[in-house]
Amino acid sequence: MMTREQRTGLALMLPPALLLVAGFLLPLLFVVYTSFMPPRTFGLASPPTLENYVTAVRESYWRPFAWSIFFATATTIATGLISWPIAKALVRSSRRFAVTVSVLIAVPVFIAESVRLFGAHLFLMPRGGILAGTIQYLLGLNIGSVLFTPVATLLGLFYIYLPFALFPMVLGLSLVPRDQLEAAQDLGASPWQQVRYIELPVASPGIIIGSLLVFVLALGATTEAHILGGQSAVPVVHAIEQRFNYAQDWPLGSALATVLCVITAALVFPLISRLNIDRLFSR
Amino acid sequence: MTKTETILSLRNISRTFGNKAAVKDVTLDIKEGELFTIVGPSGSGKSTLIRMLAGLETPSAGDILLRGTRINDMPANRRPTCMVFQSLALFNHMTVGENIEFALTVRGADRKARRERARELMALVRLPQEFYGKSVLRCSGGERQRVALARALASDPDILFFDEPLSAIDYRLRKILEMEMKDLNRETGKTFVYITHSLEEAMVMSDRIAVMRDGEIVQLGDPLSIYNAPSTRFVAEFMGQVNLLPVAVDGSGSYVIEGIGAPVAQAFHAGPHSSIMLRPERLRLLDKGRRADVEFDATCFNFYLLGSRTHIHLRRDERTFIVELSPDMAVPEPGAVVRVGFDWTDAVSVQGEAP
Repeated sequence: MMTREQRTGLALMLPPALLLVAGFLLPLLFVVYTSFMPPRTFGLASPPTLENYVTAVRESYWRPFAWSIFFATATTIATGLISWPIAKALVRSSRRFAVTVSVLIAVPVFIAESVRLFGAHLFLMPRGGILAGTIQYLLGLNIGSVLFTPVATLLGLFYIYLPFALFPMVLGLSLVPRDQLEAAQDLGASPWQQVRYIELPVASPGIIIGSLLVFVLALGATTEAHILGGQSAVPVVHAIEQRFNYAQDWPLGSALATVLCVITAALVFPLISRLNIDRLFSR
Repeated sequence: MTKTETILSLRNISRTFGNKAAVKDVTLDIKEGELFTIVGPSGSGKSTLIRMLAGLETPSAGDILLRGTRINDMPANRRPTCMVFQSLALFNHMTVGENIEFALTVRGADRKARRERARELMALVRLPQEFYGKSVLRCSGGERQRVALARALASDPDILFFDEPLSAIDYRLRKILEMEMKDLNRETGKTFVYITHSLEEAMVMSDRIAVMRDGEIVQLGDPLSIYNAPSTRFVAEFMGQVNLLPVAVDGSGSYVIEGIGAPVAQAFHAGPHSSIMLRPERLRLLDKGRRADVEFDATCFNFYLLGSRTHIHLRRDERTFIVELSPDMAVPEPGAVVRVGFDWTDAVSVQGEAP
């Protein structure tokens, strides 16, 4: 017999559970099932086949996967490395300074991503672009441009996803008691050892959350490559999109999407299971 | 053991924050192996002082010498000293063992050596060996205290600093730990520098005590000399229950005890704002036939049993006097008028205005 509380809990849980099943789980199962249908078919009635997965491997679809994993990994590392000193400064500084810097970093998040990326595009354009043009005008130097190269894509990803790494890290670092750092120092720990033994482990929930956000978002990002990277490096989501739209090959697109889901899950779940979210909100 | 060798010297140490001076021109020698206590109310600068000694704060002026070598600019992690923090500052994400071993871990000691040392220290501070793998979050207040102590001892420091580590511990356990601390000082032979706002705590443990007020050391000496001869009214009152009888000059220019009117002995003519200090055990009830240099009447107001002794509070006009009775003495009824008195040889002259 269920208690009254359990019944209430179940009733409250039901609407979001139904929404998740209908809006998320069923479409996902549909995608997975479609990936086993023969190429270029639109039904679910045919006998299942592994042909799409064979095609995915044979026709060098590993390239967009590799690009996306590279972009996501590089973005996660770069945003993490840059966020660390900023987060430390924010945690230690006066409230007024912290609020000002936070607002400066957070406000762009409220502007549409593509608008911001077009801004970056204008900035990076060769010759007449803001950066190259200014340098040419001031110094008479022609510096060329990184626009339409993978470097531009990376810059765009870094620019867009920095706040997602930064703010959880601030939260994480705010969990590090000052006296514990002093105690570690007093016990002989060098500045680097204080980071390794105290700050990193204590701030880890924030660091893990931030890294996961950045990694997963960057893995699924296409706009940056579109607007800044040109066709120099095609991210995997772009390749999947093309299979569904231009090529009208849903089963192959589904197979690629399934592989992406498996890769993401394989990277994300081990980290999530180590995450102690309670600790992040216990203060 | 005679303690003569100076291990730590403070030469005209000052520390200012903005325009506020937290520590003013402190000069002090701490001797090898002694348990030295710095006592003072909160805000007296004692925490700032010990933080400078540990290397967590830099002096604005003056020198800190460790065995004659200036260490002002030596960072905390290079000083052969360790501190037990007021908050204990245990690493909550580590086990008891990992906490104790921390100083050895950062020095690159191997696992076996670390473990051995941790076991040894746990025995020294009386922590059960099975606590080794326990999370410090699941330790009680007293256990955490012992972990902090063992952790500070791990690197075998020359000097241990204690920043009021017992302040959050309940009275009974605190009394036990105070004595253990003193025992540990004897067992290890290390120099302990201890900070507390409790003079009672300082009395129990210390070889020498420095009393601080407003960033300055107002008196320095062994516990008994401070107890018996406080240099100022502040020290006298800070030491706990004392009787302070203000000295006044009457119309004819002679010194009298204010409110009692009795003439003041020559040795106590110490100018304005001086008082005569009497410990409760030095103010005596005068039964039939007993005499004293100064005698007066007061009304018994209340009595307090303090274990082996009893304090009675007497009132005369607006003033309260504390008298300690030995166990064999009868306690007067509240409301009864009694005669009390003291001898000049039992009194101490102290300087300073009433706070």
